This record gives sequence, C-alpha cells and structure tokens, in this order.
Amino acid sequence: MENPEWISNVVWLIFAMPLFMCLAIRFITREHGQLSADLSSLVTGIGFILSLLVFFSMKEDIHSYFPWIVVQGLDVSIGVEINRLSVLMLMIVTGVSTAVFYFSRVYMRDDPDLSRFYSALNLFVFSMLGIVVADNLLQMFLFWELVGVSSFLLIGFWFYKPSAANACRKAFIVNRIGDFGFLLGIILVWHNTGDISFSKLESFFHSFDPEQFSSWLVPAGLLLFCGAMGKSAQFPLHVWLPDAMEGPTPVSALIHAATMVAAGVFMLCKISFMLVGSALDVIAWIGAITSLVAALIALQQDDIKRILAYSTLSQLGYMVMAVGLSAPTAAMFHLTTHAFFKALLFLGAGAIIFSVHHEQNIWKMGGLRQSMPLTYRLFLVGTLALCGIFPLSGFYSKDAIIAAAQSGNPILFFISLLVVFLTAFYMFRLVSVVFFNKPRTENASHAHEAPTGMIIPLVILAVPSVMAGWINIEEFFGTIFHHAGGANLFLLPFEHSPLPAFLGLFIAFLGAVLAFQIYSKVDEDPVVEKAGFISWVLGGKFFIDEIYRVLIACTHELLAKIAAWFDRAFLAGLVIKGSQGVIEFGGRALRLLQTGNLQTYALWFFIGLSVLLYFITH
Amino acid sequence: MSPVLILIFLPLLAAAAIGLIPGIKNGVARNIALLTHFAMAALAVTLFVQYDQNPANADGVFYAFQKDWVPTLGIQMYLGMDPLNAAMLLMSSIVCFTAVACSDNVKERPRTYYLLLSLMSAGVVGAFSSFDVFSFYFFHELALVPTFILIGGWGAGPQRKYASYKLTLYLTGGALLALAGIIALYLHSNATSFSFFAILAAVADSPMSESTQNWIFPLLLIGFGVLVSLWPFHTWAPLGYGHAPTGVAMIHAGALKKFGLYALLRLAIPALPLGSENWASLLVILCLGNLVLVGLAAMRQKQLHMLIGFSSVAHMGFVFMGLVAYNHIGVTGALLVMVAHGFLAALSFGLAGALRSFSPDLDMTKMGGLLKQAPYLGTALGIAFFAGCGVPGFANFAGEVLIFFGAWGHVESFALVLAVWSGLVIGGVYMLRAFRNVLHGPVSEKWSTLPDISGTSRFAINLLIGALVFFGVLPGTITQKAQISINGLVQQLEKGRSSQDAVLDAPHRDALTPNLAQIQK
Repeated sequence: MENPEWISNVVWLIFAMPLFMCLAIRFITREHGQLSADLSSLVTGIGFILSLLVFFSMKEDIHSYFPWIVVQGLDVSIGVEINRLSVLMLMIVTGVSTAVFYFSRVYMRDDPDLSRFYSALNLFVFSMLGIVVADNLLQMFLFWELVGVSSFLLIGFWFYKPSAANACRKAFIVNRIGDFGFLLGIILVWHNTGDISFSKLESFFHSFDPEQFSSWLVPAGLLLFCGAMGKSAQFPLHVWLPDAMEGPTPVSALIHAATMVAAGVFMLCKISFMLVGSALDVIAWIGAITSLVAALIALQQDDIKRILAYSTLSQLGYMVMAVGLSAPTAAMFHLTTHAFFKALLFLGAGAIIFSVHHEQNIWKMGGLRQSMPLTYRLFLVGTLALCGIFPLSGFYSKDAIIAAAQSGNPILFFISLLVVFLTAFYMFRLVSVVFFNKPRTENASHAHEAPTGMIIPLVILAVPSVMAGWINIEEFFGTIFHHAGGANLFLLPFEHSPLPAFLGLFIAFLGAVLAFQIYSKVDEDPVVEKAGFISWVLGGKFFIDEIYRVLIACTHELLAKIAAWFDRAFLAGLVIKGSQGVIEFGGRALRLLQTGNLQTYALWFFIGLSVLLYFITH
Repeated sequence: MSPVLILIFLPLLAAAAIGLIPGIKNGVARNIALLTHFAMAALAVTLFVQYDQNPANADGVFYAFQKDWVPTLGIQMYLGMDPLNAAMLLMSSIVCFTAVACSDNVKERPRTYYLLLSLMSAGVVGAFSSFDVFSFYFFHELALVPTFILIGGWGAGPQRKYASYKLTLYLTGGALLALAGIIALYLHSNATSFSFFAILAAVADSPMSESTQNWIFPLLLIGFGVLVSLWPFHTWAPLGYGHAPTGVAMIHAGALKKFGLYALLRLAIPALPLGSENWASLLVILCLGNLVLVGLAAMRQKQLHMLIGFSSVAHMGFVFMGLVAYNHIGVTGALLVMVAHGFLAALSFGLAGALRSFSPDLDMTKMGGLLKQAPYLGTALGIAFFAGCGVPGFANFAGEVLIFFGAWGHVESFALVLAVWSGLVIGGVYMLRAFRNVLHGPVSEKWSTLPDISGTSRFAINLLIGALVFFGVLPGTITQKAQISINGLVQQLEKGRSSQDAVLDAPHRDALTPNLAQIQK
C-alpha cells in the first residue's frame, strides 16, 4: 500500500504553518492582539485537522527531506519523517495546542501583549513539531534548542516581574546543561556509526546486535539521556520546572505539562533501539527517583500550579522509568493520556485562578464546588484520570507502566505503587482544599463559573482524558518497538496483569479517601503541625535549590572568579606591565599616538616596508 | 574594470571626497560615507550571489585583477573573489556599512572620523579580496593605522588612552611577528611570486623540511593569533573594544579581526602541514584558554561592553578549534563562525553603542527592563545575546556545531568536552545573565528618556539581524560553494602530512576507532 502523493506536503504544511503564523503576527497583526489570537487559534485548529487527515490516510511511513549542510563526512538534512510514533505525537501536539490556543483567547484577553504571547506560542508549536518530525539527531537537537528558546520567552512573558525573569533564565540554563550531554551523545553516535539519521541508525542497529557495541553505546545512550533529563526535568535537573510556573497558566498547560516536557520521553522512545544494558538501568532508576521525590514534594506545596508541576515531574518520572524498563510502548501510552488529563488539570487550574482574581494559594480558595460546578466536575475528571481510577485513561497507561515494573524489578515495582498512593493523596488534598469546605477569602467567595470560551476547551480535553486509555496501543505501534509493554483494552489489564491492576486501583482509592478525610474540613494544613520536620523538608523541596546554590557558588562561580582575577591581575599586564623596558616603549608609543599625526604613521609604515624589502632582496 | 576593485574604490572615494572637498558640511560628509558604503554593501551582495557565473582564471579566482607592483620581487596586486573569500567580502562590506550607519552619535570632528572610517573599510575589503600575501598585508595595515587613530582620538571611557596604546602595541607586535613569518615562509618556499596559490603550489612541489616548518609556524600562529586575540594575548581586545568608538569596534571586531584567522586558514596551516601538526597541541591549549578561561571571565563582567568584548574573544576559540581539526567539517565550520561572528560582533557593539549615551559606564547591574522601555532595541539586543550563545536560527549555531563534529577525534576528548561545555553552558550563563540584567526586570530609571533606535541605525541593525538569520537558516549558501576550495586545502594538508612522515601520530577519526559503517559493508 502506498501513501497518497500529497501526504508529505501536508506534513510540511502542518510543520510550517505555526512559523508563518508567528511571522505574520510579528510583521502584520502585531497591533491587533485579539485578531492575532483568533487567527492563531484557527490555524492551529486546521493543523490538528490536517494531522488527523495524515493519520487516517497514511499507509506507510512518510519521509521527505532537503539537505541543510552537506560536507564530506556529514550530511545534515531538515526533513519530516512520520511513522506511527511521530504521528501520535503530531496529533497530541496539535490537538492540545488547539485547546490551549482557544482557552488563551479568553484567559489572556486583557493582556496588552497578546500578540507577543501568540507569536511566542506559535514559535513553540513550530519548534515542537520540528522535534516530532525530525528525521535525524541533529535536526532534533536544533529544534530542541529552539523549544528551549520559546519556552524561555513564554516563562518570561511577564519579564518585568523579577521572579519570572529569574525563572526563565534558570529554565534555559538548566536545559543547556542537559543539551551539553545530548550534543556530545550525538557526536559520539555519529563518530562510531558515521550517521545521524534515525532510519539509517535503526537499520544499522537492526543488522547488528547493539550489545556488542556497549563499550561506546552505553556512554552514548547516557549522554543522549542527559538531553531528556533537561527537557523532561528528571532528577537532578528537575529544578527548573516548578519555577517555570511563573509563566502564564496556558503556557504551563501546553509546554510544561503536555508537550515540551514530554519531548524527552519521546526522544528516548525514538532512540530506544540504541539504549542498552546499564544505560537502561540508569534511566529506569532516574525515572523512579524523580517520580518518588516529586510526589513527596507535592504533598506539602500550597500553590495550585506548583502542585500540578510536581505532579507532572512525577508522571514524567514514570514515563522515563518505563523507557528504562524497555517498555517504550507503555511510556508513549502514558505520555498520550497524561498530555490530555494534565492539560485539562492545568487549564482547569487556570479557570480557577482566573475566577479568584489570580490567587494561586489553595488555602486562600475553598468551597469552589458551589460557585464553579462545571469546572469542579471537569477538574475531578482530570484528577481521577491522573490517579489512575478505572476506567479513565490514566488507569490503563499507568497500569502498563506498573506491570512493566512488576516484571522488571521489585524495588521499582514498590516505588511505582507508592507513587500511586502519593499521587492520589496530593491530588485529593488539592481537590478537597480548593473545592470543599467554605470559601476562605473574599476573592474565593466571589468566585464565579469561568466563561464559556474557557470551559469548551476543558470539555474537549476531558473526552480523551476519559477515553484515550481504550485504544489498543500495542496494535497501534505495531512493529516499531521490539519490546512489548503492558496490556490494555477495556478490561484487559485485569486479565493480563491482575496484581498491578487491582493493587494500583486499591492503593489509589486509599490515598484519595485518606486525603479527603484529612483535608475536606480544615482551614490550614494539619500535617504541618503533626509532622513538623518532614513537612519542613518536603515544603522546602528537599532544599535541592539551596544545595545547588552552594555547589555552584563553590565550583563554577569560583572558577569564574579565579579566571576573571587571573585575566585581570596577570594576563592584562603580561606585555604592558611585564618589564620596565616595555613600559618605556609603551610610553613612547602613547606619545606618538597622542600626536594623532598621520605622517608619523606613514613614517612607521614606510620603515616597515623598507625592512621588508631589505629582507626580501637579501 | 573588476567589480572587486570598485568594492575597494567606493570607500576610498568617500575618503577622498570628504578629505578634498573644502568646507564640506558634517552632515554631507556622513551622507557621502553612508551612500558609498551602502553602494559597496549592495555591490557585495550582488557579487556574492552571482560571482561564479563568470569565467574564473587558472587559480579559480573570479573577477581577477592582477597587476605587477614590484615585479623583481614577485609582488603584485592580485585581487578577486573565490569561494573562500566571497562570504568574507560580503560580511565585511555589510559590517562596514552598518558601522558607518551606527556612527550617528559621533559629535567630535565628524569629517575626519568618517574619512578615517572609510579608509578602514577600504583596507578591510582590500585585505579580504587579496590573493597576494603582500597586498593582503598592505591592506590590513591600511585599515589598522586609522583604527589606532580613531580609538585614540574618538574613544570613550576613563581608560581610553591606556586601552588605545595597549591595542596598538599588541596589534603592531602581532602584525610584525606575522610579517616575519610570512617572509620566512616565502624565502623557504622557492615560490616565485607572493600569491597564495604560488606559495601553496611551491610547498606542495618541494616540501619544506620539518625543522624549518617547526620554527616558521609559531611565528605565524602567534603573530596572527595576537591579531585574533588568541589566549593569552587577548587582553587588548575587551579593553580596546570597550573604549573604541562604536563604528570602529564594529569594523575591527566584526571584520578586520578575522584577518588573522583567514590567513591561518588559507595560507599558514596548509603551507606548513607538519609545523601546524607539531604545534597543534599547543594551539588546542590556547584555544581552550579562549573558550573556557575567557568564557568564565566573561561571566564576571559587570559592564555590557566588556561582556561583549570577552564573549567575542571566547568565540574565537571555536574557530581555532576548527582550524586545529582542519578537516572538511572543521574548516567549513570555522568559515561559518568567522562570517557569523562578524555580523554578531557588529550587531552587539552597535547596540551597546546606542545604549552608551544613556549609561556611559554600561553597568549591567544598574540596568533593567530595556525590553519594556525600548522594545526594538531590547529585542535586537536579545537576539544578539541568543545568537551569541549559539541558539539555532542564527548563523553561529551551524558553525559551532560543525566545529564540534569536525574536532572530534582530532583533539583530545576532554578538550572537546570543555569546548562544548563552553559553547552551551558557559556561553548560556553569561548571555542569559546579561539578558536578565539588561532586558528583563523592572524598568530602570536611567532608561526613562531612552528613545528607541530609529533611522539609518535601525536599518543597519535590521540588516545585521537579517544576515544572521539568513545564514542561520540557509548556511548552505556559504558552505556549498566553499567546498571546492576547502577540498583543495584539506587535500594539500593531508598530502603534506602523510607524504613526509610515514609514522604519523595524528589522531585521525578512522585510525582511532574503526568506522562501523565500513565494517558493515
């Protein structure tokens, strides 16, 4: 079966449209914010429809490219390569973007810089699609960096706020540390195989057993994983994501929950054929640690967006762990469902923040169940999906990962179950405090239902949040991955792997009920008093930021101080102050210079010329 | 007449008009300089687009102009365009035009200023269009002398005198050392003329002994290196640029400084294959000095112009690393970074110059909110910061990445790791700190009366950004045509290294690890 001829052009169109939109806003509609917003939303919607069209019309992989730099020994192309993996990601990115674009039209309508917001959002979608369709590692790296830039621009959208300005700088630099490893990994792979294109690398590793190259493939895999650690905010490079919540809430939903942070997981799945041996173990453990640490921190956060941010970290940890357990199918499955329900939760949080006049502290909300019934129900759908309650999407994808952990490693299995409990606990803490009890502040008591323009995107996201788990993910991916992940279809998890399914469900109920019992009737966190020290450590996020500050101050900053001092005190005087005679000469040169006389220079020039001629003639 | 000659004559014409027309008004002088430089830039663009549609001479030079100068010595005026200097000429011409355009805040003796600046541009363009070592050197000096006068006479800042004489001392010293090296090279090469091609052909035919190469190469390396602010001879650069008038910093840091790199790329390394190989490990250490030590020092700079100066010195390290590798990928990357950095340095110094009248000390800790107060200026500066830390979409990214690829296997791996760290992390830190301090945050009171850039300087800034983006998106427009020349140079180098010494310990990619792609076949 062959693809229709037009299909690669459609993919190029989907890829290029956001860039054109970004430029059009910059150069044409800049003065008309609402117009920019409407047009962008329309174009993104078209992009989503076209992605669906591609999905339903493609019969085989699509590949089309043009050369970017061709030098002997290195061909870099910019291309679009669509297989089952990337078409799924294409639909997620354009779909969630559409919802977020429509939501922001209302949420951001009073901002004077609406056009700037939408041009940066478009730039982001373009860069993200560049990662999704990339046909080689270097193109992926190129757009990887661009995604970092657009994320920087959006986190720092309110750049005149010092906190936002600091947060976007931190995000960029932490990501750069990850990218440092990523680029070295790419170079290492290229050096050993002579290629950077995914299809050639894949056929290369298909004809050889990757294990025989483990001497360089393990370090290369770990270096590539560094890139994923930065972008998908894995421990210990996770510190930028909570701070990134300084950006507008729709940005958090699109970039820092659904798409960009998933890019790391996507990349790992895309290169999963190159991940072998101990590289996989490291990836699994880093993922597990991230999921546990982030879930623990989330227990004692009071900012609604930060709780969701730590929850995102924790779920990303799950996905990364799944990759490490050689279950990329499960990772992509969870990535898909998570994109929907986490975007739903973030946009729901946006609707709440909008209604309570930009208050983000959950203890200053309360009782919103009455005033925002629709938002409450939608938020609850997202929460249940996130907690993995049957039959919502999160149940299936999470079960796939837990099942992989069960067959992989007992400790990882235990951690993944513990995280299920913690997830249910902190999410129902949030729900209880925000929606139950009575309004705790003036703003909360005046809250009202969000406008229709914001509710509709929530409804649209709620549908896949419920149903995305019912697709047969293994059949969907077919032969892309060698390793089978978990199981699915409506009741399949209970038959396939009954222990994780029942255990996970039971534990999630336990966490939810416990949190509801503790938090639904209180006005301040009772845990803070009862478990003072633990609460202090968790509330302080294990003080990782503080540790980093000290570490950086006594390593990199110290080196910089020494280098600057060395430059100033020693090198600057190397020639000038080095010897008395030179100073004397310098003084004369200075006096010559001060004459500002062209003749003097002409004279010097002439003397130089004579010396030259003398040398040549002798 | 060769259009390349017109390229040089245009600024000379401006200099002559400004100098000779009696009682010429200041504004008229500026307009003359602007017009001629604009014509030069426009001509350079036209030539760049279509130069290779004309017949080339035997050396592969288009629009060649050859005229004997001192025939008994083989000295000639040999100008033209070939795939290696085409991009350099384009970049220099645009940079020179923007330097004139961004000089609108010169209030002191503007006529003399524009006269000297025009001489500088003639020198720069002349140097990069030369194929004869002598005219190459001559034009460089033609540009250098006005540089000294301009910094001494029109510079700003408390240490102006010190900065200008330090710069003079270093650059004169470097140029003299390089001259000695060139003469030594010529004398030992049996060449009958001073043209690049003749010298390269001569050393290919009758290679010089290794010991001769070993003592000539350091003269050229250090001599040209000083001109390019190779560590530890770089300290003239941040100080000198920081105190130079805007236009001069733009031309020197952007275009003229590349003279040394261009000479190493085109002549010194391929002509001395063994000398350059034996001195390679030293050069790696020195270029790590640029990349890491100067980069780290840049993190500690508090003044914007010093930061730009330090980062510009650090960027030279990438080019040196590409030259150490001297394979197709590395040389192509070095060429790209040279061109990209030319536009970038002009952009950064041009913008810093626009800020200077409002904040003479350019203290970044006291700046803030520029993006809000002057959105155009702020955005342009933000673009310069991003381009400076190697963000894709700007020409620097492609060049730097190529250099990293090219250098792998040719330098020690720890050196490459440090270089990548410098490019991605150290560069990111200092550029983003500047971003935070200057552009983000609450609006500083200092800016309340700052106007946004307008008029010709705005046009010039747009042109520079446009060039950075154009070559960032389509680097192939530079790299593809250059492959022919680069092939020739790389082959000459490899031949020179393999024919004389069978037991080479050059760390070749293929020698280090067997290429798996070849095993597969």
